[in-house]
Amino acid sequence: MLDPLALAVAWPLLGALSITLLPRWAAHLGILAAVGATLSALGVAFAVMDSGSLTSELGGWKIPLGIGLRADGLAAAFLAMVNLVALGVSIHASVYFADSKARHHFWPLWFLLWTALNALWLARDLFNLYVTLELMGLSAAALGALSGTRESISANLRYLLLGLAGSMTYLLGVALLYVAYGSLDLVQVARSLAPGPSSAAACALMIGGLSLKAALFPLHFWLPPAHASAPAPVSAALSALVVKAAIYLVLRLWLDLFAGIANASAAMLLGLLGGSAVLWGSWQALRAERLKLLAAYSTVAQIGYLAMFLPLIAAAADERGRASLLVAWVLLALTHGLAKASFFLATGLVQKTTGHDRIAELGGAAQSLPAATFALGLAGAALIGLPPSGTFFAKWILIQAAIASGQWWWVPVIMLGTLLALGYVFRLLARAFTREPTPPHFVTSARAELSALLLAVLAMLGVGLAARPIANLLGV
Amino acid sequence: MRPPSLLCLLVPLLLLALGLSLGWALGDGLKGYSGERLAEVALELVPESGATHPVTSVLLNFRGYDTLLELAVLLTALLGIWSLGPAAPPYPPPGLVLASLVGWVVPLLIITGGYLLWVGAYAPGGAFQAGAMLGAAGVTLTLAGHPTGGLPAEPWQRLLAALGTLVFLLMGLGLMALGSGFLIYPKGIAKWLILIIEATATLSIGVTLIAAFLGGRPMSLRNRSR
Repeated sequence: MLDPLALAVAWPLLGALSITLLPRWAAHLGILAAVGATLSALGVAFAVMDSGSLTSELGGWKIPLGIGLRADGLAAAFLAMVNLVALGVSIHASVYFADSKARHHFWPLWFLLWTALNALWLARDLFNLYVTLELMGLSAAALGALSGTRESISANLRYLLLGLAGSMTYLLGVALLYVAYGSLDLVQVARSLAPGPSSAAACALMIGGLSLKAALFPLHFWLPPAHASAPAPVSAALSALVVKAAIYLVLRLWLDLFAGIANASAAMLLGLLGGSAVLWGSWQALRAERLKLLAAYSTVAQIGYLAMFLPLIAAAADERGRASLLVAWVLLALTHGLAKASFFLATGLVQKTTGHDRIAELGGAAQSLPAATFALGLAGAALIGLPPSGTFFAKWILIQAAIASGQWWWVPVIMLGTLLALGYVFRLLARAFTREPTPPHFVTSARAELSALLLAVLAMLGVGLAARPIANLLGV
Repeated sequence: MRPPSLLCLLVPLLLLALGLSLGWALGDGLKGYSGERLAEVALELVPESGATHPVTSVLLNFRGYDTLLELAVLLTALLGIWSLGPAAPPYPPPGLVLASLVGWVVPLLIITGGYLLWVGAYAPGGAFQAGAMLGAAGVTLTLAGHPTGGLPAEPWQRLLAALGTLVFLLMGLGLMALGSGFLIYPKGIAKWLILIIEATATLSIGVTLIAAFLGGRPMSLRNRSR
């Protein structure tokens, strides 16, 4: 029988392998595999929307002996976003790398990263998650080093080593759980998990390792240099998708696996780290001198918002409050994924045209690329959280929940973070519109600019207006 | 000499405390739970897996999907190495003793690899061990001055490196297309399917290890004849 979950992993892997064999056809095979992977992932998302979550037992062995894949609403929502962003990145990359030597290396590694992402969102086996984390970390670091500069290679070597440390820490936690409960299946372990030193140690190790991979403040130090020095399409994927995968796993484990032992004070600790990340990341983004560094620090801040949800979810009064916070979390993460990808792609175009990405010297240079600048503006507005973007609704629900549960101190943090985001986006846009007359053509390079612009439009309008279907998908 | 600073004392103490608390957590985990354990279930079903050795059953059948992704990890590592630049220049040609020794050792390594691959069905062995033997043969050749460690030209290297993952994946997809399901081996031929996957995986692992030791993109034929 046809297994849609296995297909969603198999498509990008088949793409990676065929490009490895036929590097001459990389760009064509790449677009083919990208379209196939996106269609199969969207197929999974629609199937979940229709009939609830999908499960499959690979190899025909009953869980826990075999490895299970699962797509519930949360996984399906992310799977759809990740594959849309990845399709946009692929179309952009077919122009970006068209005459660069790096193209032979980009395509196979990119599809291996895509395989890892799809496999990660569908996994429900703790060891299988580790394998996907390894595949993701290795391919992401190799892609980040593709710009070939000394700076990018050293930043990405550091990223690789810290990523390994993160996944090893995670694996240590998995080993403890396996020793204690004799199973690797997430659902089964969650069922038998009992409070005690071994499950507490496993929780600390797994959440800690993933926080390092998610660049949660103060473990964010590796992110800005690595993301700012990678080629633009790669930065887009790293910032929008790879970091998101780790913070998604933090939430997934927190809610599904460690629900019984993760208490309010641990959630508060993660929330405080998140709040500091919002302030520190936004402040650094405001001070950044380069466009890509600005975008990278803004990612640090956005991961902070996502961590800030944990204490509020823990303190939510009833099931409805929890569910609406979960929807807000997904809205924020999806919007950031789309917006940040678009932001980095547009930045790459500006950088290619002007030869640099120093904000102070943009001086209207960006204005010669109206579509790219428009994408920057739209993506920036989505990052700030202007209505009707998903960020707006997410922050609204977040503030409501903070007031309702008496944790009022999150409100000024959110306000200040939003104000700082307003600052760094407008500081950029103010430099972009200084030249007269306006260029005659809106679009200069259709494929490269339109993929950035479409992602920005999706971030600004799509996710916010689709809030109802997304809530349905999550079963609320 | 500088007197040892506070940090030199503090870091080992902290690590010791961390290790002790992890040990305590492990000790706590070892007792406590009395439900069904995965290892017992797996051992019971080994005869149905198409291999009689439990490690092979787990790697190639029960958790074949993990192994498929692990092979993809190996390929990723190799492609990452290739993306960083060309291989280092070859080692100097060997003296008489080394050359004749290599002539003895390399065929032995390859035969041992083949033996380990075959024996994996019922004893410790299998694709990863056999691939490591092939890798050792290539590393020996490289150290003895062979410019590519016995590997063919780049297109063939690409094919060999991707072969294990490709055959594994196509097997899974093919079984799904035939109505069996992704990576669900039909009972009667499971043994042979596992052998095919293991044989191609051995080649890929060996080639990947050799190419990783060479440390860079394969040189083109033109450069090599120089």
